Amino acid sequence: MKRRPGIGGLQTAAAARNQYRILGENVAKIRTDLMKEQLATFRSQLEDFARKHKNDIRKNPTFRSQFHEMCAKVGVDPLASNKGFWAEMLGIGDFYYELGVQIVEICLATRPHNGGLINLQELCSLLGQKRKTAREAVSEDDCLRAISKLKVLGSGFEVISVGKKKLVRSVPTELNKDHNEILEVAQGQGYVTLEEVQRRLSWSAGRATDALETLLKASSCKSIGLFFFLFSSTEGLAMIDDGHSDGKRRYWFPCISSISSYVGS
Amino acid sequence: MQTLGNFKLPNFFNYPPYFTLQPVRDTREKQVQLWKELILDYCRTQKIFVIALDEEFPLFSNPVIESIAGSLNHEARQAFLSALVSEGRAEWMHKGHRKCLILWHRIQDWADSIVQFVKDNGLEDTVMTVEEIRSGVESRGTELHGIDRTILMRALKLLENKGKLVIFKGSSADDEGIKFSL
Repeated sequence: MKRRPGIGGLQTAAAARNQYRILGENVAKIRTDLMKEQLATFRSQLEDFARKHKNDIRKNPTFRSQFHEMCAKVGVDPLASNKGFWAEMLGIGDFYYELGVQIVEICLATRPHNGGLINLQELCSLLGQKRKTAREAVSEDDCLRAISKLKVLGSGFEVISVGKKKLVRSVPTELNKDHNEILEVAQGQGYVTLEEVQRRLSWSAGRATDALETLLKASSCKSIGLFFFLFSSTEGLAMIDDGHSDGKRRYWFPCISSISSYVGS
Repeated sequence: MQTLGNFKLPNFFNYPPYFTLQPVRDTREKQVQLWKELILDYCRTQKIFVIALDEEFPLFSNPVIESIAGSLNHEARQAFLSALVSEGRAEWMHKGHRKCLILWHRIQDWADSIVQFVKDNGLEDTVMTVEEIRSGVESRGTELHGIDRTILMRALKLLENKGKLVIFKGSSADDEGIKFSL
């Protein structure tokens, strides 16, 4: 557009800019409305769906996990609050809060044995035993969700991955990379020796000894959360076993051994 | 679950490190606690009264665990039994700590069982021998049947001090008589 001189030209240009602006706002508004409408449709569909499959959601762990995924995509968190449509209709909030409390109980009861680190699989099976009377089955996915809700209570709970396994940590221990690698090596037999750690990880004797001793000694309480008093523990994560003719000390890790299905009475 | 005769063994019994005395204090405390409970439970159900440290004892080794790993060394055995002794649930029989008397009932509880036994059988004013209490017809089916003689004598002495009975030398040289006066 060729600019014409004079006041008339300026006025025309300003009017055009104004027109463009109004048009732009309209387009944006239409888009937002459309999006809002779509989202509202999504939500209402999701609610319909939830209403329809209420029982499946409550009873079938696989279905429940898929439902959670779907909710996450539309930006709905059924666990965000215990009030409101979702919680009231599904009672799903209560389900996870209850699960959370039971997880805390199990972690406390097994802590003397495993030092506050428990295999997710084992936690699940213990949870199953504890909930024998409850009708709903519980999956690992449910456990993870309940644990993620426990996080708000303090720094106590965390899920860490060691190799292929998931471990649930209930003491504020700081496991560094070295410790993690040792646990990974130990997954094969449930224990490691100093020599094995040196060989498999190509570490110096000093580094291996240091890491093993730390795991043996104690979980140092580096951060303080609400659970600090419940979980300030000094039990180590490892136990020694000296009864071997080769004279090599074995370091066992109750948190990854299947035998650790022992629960304190 | 592994069993020893009719006794169900706890899961920790299959976990090798429980057979090595743990160096870290808290871990060891838990370990000692578990062993104390196991020893008392086992002795109670199997009616075992004496454990000799240097002799074979079913709990002190686990054949399922390979080689010597599943076997408690002398230090560990002594630690577990000493823990029981310090709680009054066991007593060393000699200064050398070679044999240990296991009190899965405390002496006072044994004394109470004797009183109950006497009342149940209407023996309040009668005379019995120590051996009759241990193996007589009357005690059959009660906990007193087959009781260790040392423990029985301790319980009887306790009752004697309370004036509930009198112990006297009987006709045969190796047995003593009891005159109840409840």
